[in-house]
Amino acid sequence: MREATIIANVKIAVIDEDVIVRDFIVSTLMYSVNREVLTFDNGFDAWVSFEEKGFPDMIIADVNLQEIDGLVLVSKIKEASPETVMVLFSDSPENEIRAREQGADAFLAKPFGVNELFNLVQTFVVEQDPAGDSSTHV
Amino acid sequence: MIRLGSKPENMREMELDDIFISRLQLLIIMTKSYLNKYPLGSYRERSILENAELVKVDAVGLAEDIAFFGSHEDFHNGLNFEPVFYQRVKLLAVMAEAFAKGHSLEEHKQEALEKNLNTICETITFSKTISDMQFLKVA
Repeated sequence: MREATIIANVKIAVIDEDVIVRDFIVSTLMYSVNREVLTFDNGFDAWVSFEEKGFPDMIIADVNLQEIDGLVLVSKIKEASPETVMVLFSDSPENEIRAREQGADAFLAKPFGVNELFNLVQTFVVEQDPAGDSSTHV
Repeated sequence: MIRLGSKPENMREMELDDIFISRLQLLIIMTKSYLNKYPLGSYRERSILENAELVKVDAVGLAEDIAFFGSHEDFHNGLNFEPVFYQRVKLLAVMAEAFAKGHSLEEHKQEALEKNLNTICETITFSKTISDMQFLKVA
């Protein structure tokens, strides 16, 4: 049986102006990967930070953001850092279609919970070791 | 693109009650992981402490709402628990804070923790088992 390991020094960012939802996502992800999770309350600050300090492995962003919204952010980030996983979330079905068109890797439909966030980690952050080596990479 | 979360017809903004239930589910997973002796780590400890504190504050507030208004049905969409449920959630949060701070729980306290956890899980619908989450076994 293959053993699960987490991408070494995985870097995750969460962007949402709703601090209650954002903090819930951060708590769940921080617990999952046992790493600091970057947070931003608008798309512009996030973009500036990524350009200066490097792009995360995974970004989870609300579609509705000030200055640079989530849909624009997906196209900018996919152009600058194609390997970064982009996850968008929204309470609007129309935004799911737009997210797909912009090239998002995943869409979280609100309301979502712990299971969906764990599924994101399992899908995009966990590496399957083909040798079955159970040692951790982190 | 993968899709997760609510069906299109059920999509809506997340309410405080949604966050309370989700944070409680996270606390349950954190506690089950502890009881299964999965590794912690500084960020996991921090996450447990923050989550336990928020769940505790919400549980106390919701219990006070019941004491004042008599029922949640009119103003908390979907939440209709007995007052004792919130006392159990508060106890779970306090115990989680204890193990996250490194206080070892003696055997009888671990049994009490497990019993409390099982009672809470019987009250809320929650299907996830931690065996599904292999990544929790590494820190």
